[in-house]
Parts: sequence; structure tokens; C-alpha cells
Amino acid sequence: MDLFTLTALLGDGLAVGSIYALTALGLTLVYGLLRVLHVAHAGVYAVGAYAGWWAFQKTGSFGLALGTGAVAGALLGLFLEAWFYRPLLSRPPHVALIGSIGLFLAVGDLLRILFGPYQQSLPALAPAPVVGMLTAPQLVVVGATAVLLLGVYFVVEQTRLGLGWRAMAQDALTAAALGVDLPLMSRLAFLAASLLAGLAGVLVGAYYNQVYPTMGAVLAYKGLAIVVLGGLGNLWGTVAAALLLGLLESLAVAYLGHRFPPEGVAFVALILVLLFRPQGLFSRARR
Amino acid sequence: MTVLEGRGLTQRFGGLVAVHQVDIQVRQGEVLGLFGPNGAGKTTLFNLLAGAIPPSEGQVYLEGREVTHLPAYRRAQLGLARTFQIVQPFRSLTALENVLVALARDSFRRLLPLGRLATPERQAKALALLEQVGIADFAHRNVSQVPLGVLKRLEVARALALEPKVLLLDEPLAGLTFKEAEEVLGVVTALRGRIAVVLVEHHVHLALPVCDRALVLDRGTVIAQGGPDAVRSDPRVIQVYLGEEDAPA
Amino acid sequence: MYVVTILELLLIYALLTLSLNLVVGLAGQVNLGHAAFFGIGAYAGGTLLKAGAPFPVALAAGAAAATALGLVLGAVSLRLRGDYLAIATIGFNFAVVAALLYTPYFGGAYGLSGIPRGLAPSTYLLALLATFGLAVFIHERVRNSESGYAFVALRDSEVAAEALGLNVNRFKLVAFALSTALAGVAGVFYAAYIGTLRPEDFGFPLSVTLMAMLVVGGMGGLWGPILGAFLLGGFAQAFAFVHNYQAVLYGLLLALVMRYRPQGILGRVS
Repeated sequence: MDLFTLTALLGDGLAVGSIYALTALGLTLVYGLLRVLHVAHAGVYAVGAYAGWWAFQKTGSFGLALGTGAVAGALLGLFLEAWFYRPLLSRPPHVALIGSIGLFLAVGDLLRILFGPYQQSLPALAPAPVVGMLTAPQLVVVGATAVLLLGVYFVVEQTRLGLGWRAMAQDALTAAALGVDLPLMSRLAFLAASLLAGLAGVLVGAYYNQVYPTMGAVLAYKGLAIVVLGGLGNLWGTVAAALLLGLLESLAVAYLGHRFPPEGVAFVALILVLLFRPQGLFSRARR
Repeated sequence: MTVLEGRGLTQRFGGLVAVHQVDIQVRQGEVLGLFGPNGAGKTTLFNLLAGAIPPSEGQVYLEGREVTHLPAYRRAQLGLARTFQIVQPFRSLTALENVLVALARDSFRRLLPLGRLATPERQAKALALLEQVGIADFAHRNVSQVPLGVLKRLEVARALALEPKVLLLDEPLAGLTFKEAEEVLGVVTALRGRIAVVLVEHHVHLALPVCDRALVLDRGTVIAQGGPDAVRSDPRVIQVYLGEEDAPA
Repeated sequence: MYVVTILELLLIYALLTLSLNLVVGLAGQVNLGHAAFFGIGAYAGGTLLKAGAPFPVALAAGAAAATALGLVLGAVSLRLRGDYLAIATIGFNFAVVAALLYTPYFGGAYGLSGIPRGLAPSTYLLALLATFGLAVFIHERVRNSESGYAFVALRDSEVAAEALGLNVNRFKLVAFALSTALAGVAGVFYAAYIGTLRPEDFGFPLSVTLMAMLVVGGMGGLWGPILGAFLLGGFAQAFAFVHNYQAVLYGLLLALVMRYRPQGILGRVS
């Protein structure tokens, strides 16, 4: 394999994987704390993308677009946490799941009604090659993700907030008894997750130069696969699984072409993991 | 006559040996208490006898028949009943219905039993069982609205509905008020001489008086066994409980 | 005539929600892939109808095919819990759709078309009504019998049910078998109804719809599932003229009912 092919595969794989990582991270964080599959997270991502697109249209600034996307995502996420998820914590899990799916459908369709079913373009990143076949958009996405993941690492491992999250994820009752403010942890988790999702939406919109109402759909399904692959609630496992999936999909496109849709990779991996290692590839815990 | 027996029971969890080569015999009609400080292995031993977990080594015999590798539901069908430390009522049902489910065990051997659950015969038996444990007043109440003491006795009623040869009680007094504990102990005392009872209990001073025999475990092995008085005054027993709030004396 | 057509579709949906209720409402197992069994029944029955088989034979084939795969999923459910099972059922749904898409015998992406009704229109309606009646009868007979209580027991506390001598694994498989057999039957009726089957019609979105019908109507009893099927199924038809707003209204309905009345319209608060 020559340098060009290698960098092309790596570049695309890591870029796509980075997007997956940013969104799946939020998904697994929420699951770890609340034991709820936040399907509407993909809706937050799409809303962030549209907000960023709108900001870019108005101002031409990619930075502002990113900021707007992040804020829009965060606001939606916080609203959902307060209005929908927290009141339903005492209910059986299927209630939040079905409602979350409904929210996701509603948000997606609302975007279509407001902005039309067609793709909008977000030409913030010119796809110019930088090193080998690595393009500027790829470097921006991977770079931004690396910075954000560092930030997440710092918060989770080095701050009291992160400690509170980890305690709540392990044993909420004991954490509460020790003084951890569970509702606050929950709110901040949704804030962080939705910020990341909103940012991811803008980054994707710029990377593919496409923003469209159903862009969350694929991510909704793949997000589930990724969090299972990485281990439900396992933050770094999920990041690893996301990057791995991005790379595998890139390889699949290169070597299997039209015979096997790249979406199938996530799904085959999911089946295999559920059959042989349901706790996830990177989890030490038993099922 | 030995109703329940464990031979050489050993349970390892990874590197930890929770139960080590324990022999235990339960005789018909006796109340046998299993005691020991935290982490002594009494709950693990209980679960091995009940069939909740398979032993690393050793065998379990029910009325002389080996049941070591039989799942919990088979042991129940063969006459071994158990209750749970954290009560497990069927929350959608009433107290009476909870017992009726236990009484339908013969029907449940069929693939798709379509008979009526609440036959007159079963209803009469269920009410009698509820009376036996003193909670007949709650028969038609949905169990999600009933105090813990009642739920604990419902567990016993359900278990008795199986007409078991041996009844295993998992910390029946946990979480109860003094009065509720007295009521449960009254039920156990009434069973004495009629069926074999094995009870695991943390509150030794409350439970020891109702036992015919007691086994005390420490770190996976039996350190003392015998009648209540013998066990209570056994120096090894006193030593392991030293500093523990629930010492025998 | 149009009304009859809608009614037939709603009856098919009601068969599906009743079947789903057996596994999810009564036995308390998760199934977010129920559309797969509907699809298997439809394809199996549809293929036979195309080959000229009599309607009852097609029904039997549809039920058998769906049940066989239902037992596979049931076996999987014995090894996985909660959220993992939910995701596994979703994966199962995708697997079935993918299998149908990539099997040329079933028409692949173009699907199976030209399926004859196999019965005269009035006979079809009668057969469907009779089947629906039978399904209601079976549903109620099971629900109010010892088996129904067995399912509720294993739903409320599997470990206690085991301790009372109930072979929990076997009862779970029975629940899956009954549920998928009925879904398969519904599938055959649907194949005859619509004439053309495409794999993506039986994907995860339909499973979500079925689950939503069940949850909105109210799980566990008889009328909840039926109401859910008629309400949400009829919703799609009634709002056909506001087709533009269908998805957002539907999504909002789901979210709002779950938020403010999670037990469903006819469900009881447990």
C-alpha cells in the first residue's frame, strides 16, 4: 500500500471516526449516568449542524458557526434533560426509549419543515490536500476532536465534576449518600454531551459540505452500535470503538466497494459483539 | 433423617475462596441457623444449597438425591423452597395471587397451561397459608402497597405453598422493625418439627433462640456447630464476633 | 370500499400489537425488532400465494417461518438482559431486512411483487375478521390462564418465579413462539392485502411504530393494544392529507404520551 492510499484511508477513517467519537461519547456518558439510551441525541447533532450552517450563512465565520452549533445543541440537550429525561427516571426504561425515538423523529421532521428537505451546503473547509492524501478538512476534524477529547479527559479524570460523574455511574445511591448532587451531574452531563454533538454536527456539515434534515438517522443507529462495541457506559472504550469503526468503514469502502455497504460494518460488528462479548470489546466488567 | 446435605462444598470467585470444603446436614423438622460475621461465606453457602450458583467443588443432596447441577426451578419442583433477602414479590399481583402462583406449580410443568389459576381449591389453600403467616388481611391488596414485614411473611407463605421438604430463609429479619421481626420469628417457630428450615441471619441474638442447631462460619469454614447454648458460649464464636454489634451474647 | 381497505389494514396492525403484547406487555421482554417476524411471515406466505398455494397453506407457512425465527430470537433473549437485549432485537431486525435485500429469490431490493390476494375480497375480509377474533380469543385465554400469570410472574421477578418451580427460560420461549406465530399470520394477510413487498417495509421504523402503538394504547390488557393499533394506524391514514406534517406530529405524539402518560391511554399505573 502506498503512502497516498494509506493516508487517504487513515485520513477519512480517522475523520469519520472522530465524528463518531464526539457523538457516541455523549451517548455513553448519558447512558452511564442515567441508564437511558438517548436516541434523540442524534437530533441534537442535527440541530447543531443547522445552527452552525445558519451562522455560517450569516457571518461567513467557521468559528462562529462552531460556537453557534455547540450552543444550540447544548440548549436543546439541557431542555430535553429537564423536561423529558429526568421526570421519567422512575419509569420503566422503555418509556424514555420510545419517547426519545419520538423526539428524534419530531426534531428531524421539524428541521425538514423549517429548512426544506434539500441539502444545504456549508463550504467552510476547502478540501485541499495537505499531506499525501490527507486533506485540510480531515486535519481540522481530527485536530478539533483531539483537542475536545483532551478536554473531556481532563474534566472526567482530573476534576470533581468528573469524579461525581464516575461515582454516579458506578453507584448512584451511594454517590448521593456521599453528597453528590445527582440532578446537577445529570444536567452537566447533558450539557457536555450536547455541546459535543452540536460541534460534531457542524464539523460534519463542513466536512461533507452537506447539511440535511435526516443526517442524524445513520448516526442514531450507528451510535447504538458504537456504544455497545465500546461497552455501555465505558467512555474511553466508546471512543476507541468509534475510531475503530471509522477506520473499518474506510477499509470496507476501499476493499469491498459496492459489494458491501459501509453501513453494514457497524451492524455486523454489533451482531458479533452481542453474540460473543456483549459487555463490549473494551470492557473489563462482566455482562 | 437428613433432608438436605452439602458435601465438600467449595466456592471460588476468582482468587477468593468464599466457602471451603464445608459439610452440612439438615435433619427433618429441625431449624438450622447459619451464622457468621460479614464475609464469612454464609450467604454463598446458602446460595449453593439453593441452587442459585453452581459450586466450584462438592455436591448437594436433597433427600438423598444429588441435585448439585440442577437449576433452581428443578430444586423447587423437588421440594426445596427459598425466600430472598431483598423481597421479590410479584408486584402486579395481590398477596393472594402471589401465593396462587406458587400453588400452580404442577400446572407449570406443562408447556402452555391454560387452566384457571384461582380454582376454589387453590384459593382455600392460599388463604390458609396467608393465615398461617398472619397476613390474611392483606390477601386482596396489591403487594406494591404493603409494608416490608408483610412482604417478608408473604415470601414465606409462597415458599410454603410449594409443600417443601426444606425451607431456606435468606436473612428473613433484615430491614424489619422489632415487632415485625417477632412476627416472622413466630412463623419460623411454628414450623419447627414439621419441615426442615435453614436460616441465614445477621441478627444472631434474635435468631439463635429459635434454632435447634446452629452452624457458625468464618472465612469460608465451619468454626462451631451445635445447640444454641453451646454455640453461644463457644470461645471461637465469641472471638469472631468480638467488636461486632450482633454478637450472640 | 375505501373504509373497508383501511379497516383491513387496521385489523392487521391490531393483530401485530396483540402479538407484541404477549411478549412485551405480559412477559415483560424487550422486542424492538417485531417487524422482522411480520416481514418473514409476509414473504413466506407471499411466495406461496404467488406459487398458487391455497390461502390456509400460505398462512401456515407464514406462521411456521416466523415462529422458527422467533425461537431463535427467544434463545438469544435468554442470554442477554435489558438494554443489551433491546439492541440485539434491533440488530436482529436489521439482519432480517438485510437478508431479504440480498436474497435474489425474494426479489432482492425490488422486492416480491404480483402477490395475488388468494381469496375473493369479501372472503378475505371475513377471514381477516375471523382471524382477528381468534387472536383476541387466544390472547385473552392465555392472559387469564395460568400461563398468563406465569408470564406476569417472570416479568415481575424472574428469580422469584424460578424459585417457585417455574421453568422461566421455557416460558420465555413459549411467549416468543406465540407472539411471532401471530405476527407471521398477520404478515401473510398483509402480503395478500398489498400485493408487493419490499424489505425496507419491515425494518426498524416499523418495529418502533408497533412498539409505539402498544405503549401509547397501554400494555398488558386487551383493549390497550387494539386502541393503540387503531389510533396510531388510523392516524397515518387520517393525516394522509397533512402528509407533510405526519412525521413531526407522530413523533410529538409519542414523546408527549410517554412524558405525560407513560402507562399509555388504557394502561394501569403499576
